[in-house]
Amino acid sequence: MTNIDCDYLVDYLNGTLTEEENQQFEHHLKTCTECQEIIEATGQLPYLADPVEPPTDMKARILSNVFDEKVEQNNHLKDQPIDQPKALKPAMSPIPIHKKRRKENVWKPLLAAVLLMSLLGNGYAFYQLSDQTAETETAIQSIELQPNATFTGTATAAMIEEEGLLNLVVQADRLAELETSQVYQVWLIKDGKPIPAGAFSPNPNGEGASYYQLETTSDEWDTIAITLEPKTGNELPEGEIVLSSEI
Amino acid sequence: MEKSTDTSLYLRVSEQDKDALEQLYDRYEKILFSFLYKMLEDRGLAEEALQEVFIKIWRGKGVYDESKGKFSSWLFRMAQNTAIDLIRKRKKPTVPIEEASQMVSNDEPVEEQVVWQEKKTQIEMAVQHLSAEQQKMIDLFYFKGHTHETIADMCDIPLGTVKSRIRLALKKLKTSLHGMQERGAYDD
Repeated sequence: MTNIDCDYLVDYLNGTLTEEENQQFEHHLKTCTECQEIIEATGQLPYLADPVEPPTDMKARILSNVFDEKVEQNNHLKDQPIDQPKALKPAMSPIPIHKKRRKENVWKPLLAAVLLMSLLGNGYAFYQLSDQTAETETAIQSIELQPNATFTGTATAAMIEEEGLLNLVVQADRLAELETSQVYQVWLIKDGKPIPAGAFSPNPNGEGASYYQLETTSDEWDTIAITLEPKTGNELPEGEIVLSSEI
Repeated sequence: MEKSTDTSLYLRVSEQDKDALEQLYDRYEKILFSFLYKMLEDRGLAEEALQEVFIKIWRGKGVYDESKGKFSSWLFRMAQNTAIDLIRKRKKPTVPIEEASQMVSNDEPVEEQVVWQEKKTQIEMAVQHLSAEQQKMIDLFYFKGHTHETIADMCDIPLGTVKSRIRLALKKLKTSLHGMQERGAYDD
């Protein structure tokens, strides 16, 4: 052994070094050919394993879990501990999706993320949806909202119908920052008569999402719109429509 | 189209390119699963470990660059460390399982089989050059993830010398691998 740092080699391979020691060793590694070669030789050891056939559905499971983790992380408020979503995940997965129309693969991680956000917000919405049983028939309709001439943001809405309840999930991005009292308000409209159906404010990345549940079906509405309201809680829109679509 | 290198795929993954992660996954799924199965002797645990490895890569925990050697060596080390964590959490003595050999598949792409088999033969021969004790050290240290204390007990050597013995065993492995690569793997 020529160098005291070479002593760390075995612990390095074992993953038992502290972060500082790890960095120190990696620095040493750049100049120590012998340690490099030993590490490369060790890197051949896995080939001693006999080939084992992985489960055919493993790839789909793993990749979906890997990418879901990221969605949660991205949409996560910065001051929340990272580990929190993990505990919530099992409760979210049973959302039944039996009867699908289109884009359901896009919505599954999105729903989880949005539900997580609403849970962080008030908890109420999450429990409502997670109470649904597996037997229920679910229909999902996804809608792209069109911006008005000057608005730069985009939004999509998912309408999920279950047992006479309509769950409306809206996700928007590229939103401009708002003044403190302002809010983006979602409306469902029939024959020019709007009702409020969720509201959101953009996060620092310009993303926002809302979740709203009401006793109705999607057939009862002809338009969905988002306005920029001067304050929260308006029963009728005061601000201009920034995004909208026919249903 | 030319095949992307591991490093270029990894760089794309660090920019959150899902397609690149999938390509890396496809490239290493089988060897990692087989390796993790060899260590953990349980298909469920092997899958758990494999998922953990790809979550770490996707989240950028542990960063690879070429100063750390070959990408595959780095990846295997991360897999090995992840498996060790699981072994230590589980605290259950591992028992050899017969089913492993029954699950050997024969429908692999020929090229992959050949490369694997070549590497396997080479490393097996390198391992055979080690003393019985050194072989045991590598197995206990690398595949079984035992602590230095356990290895000292099992090999009946002083705790203080476990680390240097492991290092010596790995060094000899390196030397014999090199020797074979220079002479050609089948010319022993």
